[in-house]
Amino acid sequence: MRVLMFGWEFPPYRAGGLATATMGLVKGLVQRGVGVTLVVPFPVTARSAEGARLLSATEIAERFSIVRIDSPLVAYAGATEYLFELRPADSASPMQAPSAVYGRDLMTEVDRFAAVAARVAELEPHDVIDTHDWITFAAGLRARGSSAKPLVAHIHATEYDRAGDGANPAILAREWAGLHGADRIIANSHRLARRVTDQFHVSHDRVDVIHWGVDGIRVAVDEARASDRLLGAAHPVLLFIGRVTWQKGPRYFVDVARRVADYFPNARFVVVGEGDALPDMVRYAADVGIGEQILFAGGVEGPEVDRAYRMADVCVMPSVSEPFGLVALESLRNGTPCIVPRESGVAEVLENVFKIDFWDIEEMTNTIVALARYPALKDTIREQGLAEIASPRLGLDEPARRTEAVYRRVVNGVNRNG
Amino acid sequence: MADVCCYFQVHQPYRLRAFRVFDIGNGAVYFDEKKNADILKRIAERCYIPTNDLLARLITESNGAFRVAMSLSGTLIEQLETLAPEALESFRALVATGGVELLGETYYHSLASLADPVEFRTQVTLHGALIESHFGQRPRVFRNTELIMSDAIAPVVRDLGFTAALAEGAAHVLGWRSPTYVYEAGAAPGLRLLTRHYQLSDDVAFRFSARGWNQWPLRAETYADWLARTPGDCVNLFMDYETFGEHQWPESGIFEFLARLPHETQSRGVRFLQPSELATRQPTDRIWFNRPTSWADQERDVSAWLGNRMQRAAHDRAYALRSAVLKTGDATRIEDWRRLTTSDHFYYMATKEHSDAEVHSYFSPYHSPYDAFIRYMNVMQDVQQKSEATVTA
Repeated sequence: MRVLMFGWEFPPYRAGGLATATMGLVKGLVQRGVGVTLVVPFPVTARSAEGARLLSATEIAERFSIVRIDSPLVAYAGATEYLFELRPADSASPMQAPSAVYGRDLMTEVDRFAAVAARVAELEPHDVIDTHDWITFAAGLRARGSSAKPLVAHIHATEYDRAGDGANPAILAREWAGLHGADRIIANSHRLARRVTDQFHVSHDRVDVIHWGVDGIRVAVDEARASDRLLGAAHPVLLFIGRVTWQKGPRYFVDVARRVADYFPNARFVVVGEGDALPDMVRYAADVGIGEQILFAGGVEGPEVDRAYRMADVCVMPSVSEPFGLVALESLRNGTPCIVPRESGVAEVLENVFKIDFWDIEEMTNTIVALARYPALKDTIREQGLAEIASPRLGLDEPARRTEAVYRRVVNGVNRNG
Repeated sequence: MADVCCYFQVHQPYRLRAFRVFDIGNGAVYFDEKKNADILKRIAERCYIPTNDLLARLITESNGAFRVAMSLSGTLIEQLETLAPEALESFRALVATGGVELLGETYYHSLASLADPVEFRTQVTLHGALIESHFGQRPRVFRNTELIMSDAIAPVVRDLGFTAALAEGAAHVLGWRSPTYVYEAGAAPGLRLLTRHYQLSDDVAFRFSARGWNQWPLRAETYADWLARTPGDCVNLFMDYETFGEHQWPESGIFEFLARLPHETQSRGVRFLQPSELATRQPTDRIWFNRPTSWADQERDVSAWLGNRMQRAAHDRAYALRSAVLKTGDATRIEDWRRLTTSDHFYYMATKEHSDAEVHSYFSPYHSPYDAFIRYMNVMQDVQQKSEATVTA
């Protein structure tokens, strides 16, 4: 079994969970003996170098080949963020025209990626094609046009999740084409599967739900407690980690932080990540009067990510939309209690997290104050969380095993779409 | 041939509302009046009233040959009085048949026996008075919250004047012995112990509607055969009263089963006896409890309520505030605090895995054990602030 996969950046661009999820899937598949050719549009920034190290993991390298397509594409989200990421590379002409121009350019890049995809499909032997979200759907469809192999579409988030009412019609059109053109769809939560069937009118029987997993526990219970002693209950540290963009609810985090500061004047609020809403978040934090207590750490990579989780007393995810939410798994893996949106994919699989509506500032505050006040609460949920995250159903093999089963079904001609 | 002793536990707690940190010190109420009313009315309608009617008929038709034992917690009786008086009336009518022995327990269905002997005695005394005022019976046999028993508790129970107590027929207590004999507490000579036959009890209470069970569907004839074939002096069938109509739905056939059981059992020559009748028998042996034992979860210990750190922290917090609350002399505050000693509050905070977790979450009105803990601790903070305010005032 060999899969030709069109992905986002690889290895992970730390601002988002999708690259982590893709890497986890590839790792799991390779460990199961599935050959993977991953085609990625690398961003022009130096971040990709970080990934090369991760790739050189020896046993993986043999069955894994990576095809690089040179592109300035930062493969996350829509046109606005593309603009944000492109700016440094394009600093010679700082005041460019508004996003429409770049929006068109983004689509051009996606199409270029797709055009190369057809050629890659001719050269790379494969039994099945897999894609990850709209930006790779066109590539997948072109690859199938060239090789006539079955096409699987992984959906991690739709444009409705990322942008809500501000959804970009051009992206929606590509999502529609990919979801309807694929032979089989894999959604990362029941919630996302419902969106695919309800809002994209895809038939239920073409969608499988496979929740993501993470590898290994990163921290022992004792180690987690050591960091706890370091900080002390009087200085609770709240963590926001992820892309700073509308979808992730950065303003809700600031609102919660402001309320928590009433109870714990020495509290610290750490924001890890970058994104188009960062300037607004900085301004808003200053406006509500927590400018002194909030720290913007920017993008963080590699082992620093685990450190960020471990220095925090609680990780807060006030995402407006969170089709899955890998951050929660990473947080638990590091022994850090996590607040997840009640309507998130990860809330479908985790027991030992706080499931709270993203807009419920009071309930989040109530929870955080209790965590800071009662060591028994923090210790219990931390231990239970570490035990839960160690269960095989949340590991990397389970999603890989189930994905492989989907591949085999489509390869054997079951559930082919027309 | 062994006699059969049926005992039903009838209890409902006062569940907490979503009491947030902002509610502390603001005069907010602790208990979720609507949820408590909804649950009580539902259970009264689905379980209490129909089961009471059925038992009353069975007792009358058998001229008292069929008889049972029950215990009603104080928190249940209070709620019935205000929310479902017709259900309380149906309990009175059932007891008036003369076929029901009422057992003693803590008024608040609490874990006071594990925390504070003085409070324990107070709550048992309050309960005895309540039962006598409502039903005209003075309990002679004791049944602690969830059958919790230990070598420390047994002498206190005996000294309160009870002749016998119910206990779990747990393997770690009985060892090679069978639960079908009357025992005596090693730590409290004179106090008889009736031990639950958990297998035959759980066949009805837990497995009755389990389609995966190889004995499903269980017929009264089959079950009566098992009872008649069980060796020993007495088969003690102890279970939640809510088994009938609530845990096991009417569609499962549980009421038809119960309706046929007395006749099927008696036609096989098996008699029904009440705990105080069994308590007159000479004990076969003495048994000891080297750790507190209960009928809950796989462990049959007190880990269902005090197994994790949250549960212990919350329970410790409650009893640490006892003297401050009593000192206020404010009846409402004392009553609120005692309602907060009910074991259910701690049960909802359990973080057990596997099959026990399902049982816990089935009973929990909250989102999670963490949610249960946060509500409880916020309420306790409020209790403390109010007590301090009263004392300084």
